[in-house]
Amino acid sequence: MTYVWAGYGITLAVLAAYAGWVVHRGRSLK
Amino acid sequence: MNTRNTGRRGTGTAVTMTLGIAALASLAATYAVGLSLPRTYEQGDYSKLIAIHPGIAWASYVAFGVTALASALWLWPRTRSLAWDLLAGASAEVGVLFTALTLITGSIWGRPTWGAWWVWDARLTLSALELMLLLGYLALRRVPADSEVRARRSALAALLAVLVVPVNHYAVQWWRTLHQGGSLSLTPKDALDGKFIFAMVLGFLAMTLVYAWLTVHRFRVAQLEEDLVDDDLDAALEARRREAVTA
Repeated sequence: MTYVWAGYGITLAVLAAYAGWVVHRGRSLK
Repeated sequence: MNTRNTGRRGTGTAVTMTLGIAALASLAATYAVGLSLPRTYEQGDYSKLIAIHPGIAWASYVAFGVTALASALWLWPRTRSLAWDLLAGASAEVGVLFTALTLITGSIWGRPTWGAWWVWDARLTLSALELMLLLGYLALRRVPADSEVRARRSALAALLAVLVVPVNHYAVQWWRTLHQGGSLSLTPKDALDGKFIFAMVLGFLAMTLVYAWLTVHRFRVAQLEEDLVDDDLDAALEARRREAVTA
């Protein structure tokens, strides 16, 4: 299951990190 | 389409909130369904990756397609608007994310099933080329230029780059590849079990919604950045006028 967890985990981490950056960037430009 | 975001209240609205909730809910469902898929005879637990990998690859195609469509709408004189150029750029940036994730999750799936993280197979090589093209497109957008010049050359580059998408899609039919053929177009004999098809379709929906949510927010960030550049330019012009009056 290590590869499965790695695939799911990396996907979630990358999407969450980018979403966090976009929202933060939008708020900083208010 | 107006590029001005006069409200200046960040990038969220009721619509993006609803879209965000739908994206989160479908992503959570995809994870729950995908991780609870049964082991298969051929691949054991690794077939659980079917819930995310094809959906991510699909979202990368959508990103490329939206970038090309927005570029075409900018080039068409009747629909020309800076907003289409900003949308093309936003979609390409999100596309980089999904294309990189396609390669990463594909490698993670390939290592235990093929015995290699990477092979120079037509599908994998063309996916890597897509990533390079998107990065090149974003680099081109950063070359200093007037907004109209930037929009024109970016649009032309996007319309050329998008040609690789159909080639990549049909690569598994046109060439002998290690990568499997289309999961939804296999003959009935080789058809996937219903649970796997359901998980995969759920993944397509979730990744499309996540792509849409990210692109809308990134587009609005681009609008706000464009407004800031305009404001800075106005302030600089005003300062020069004052200097001229007092001199």
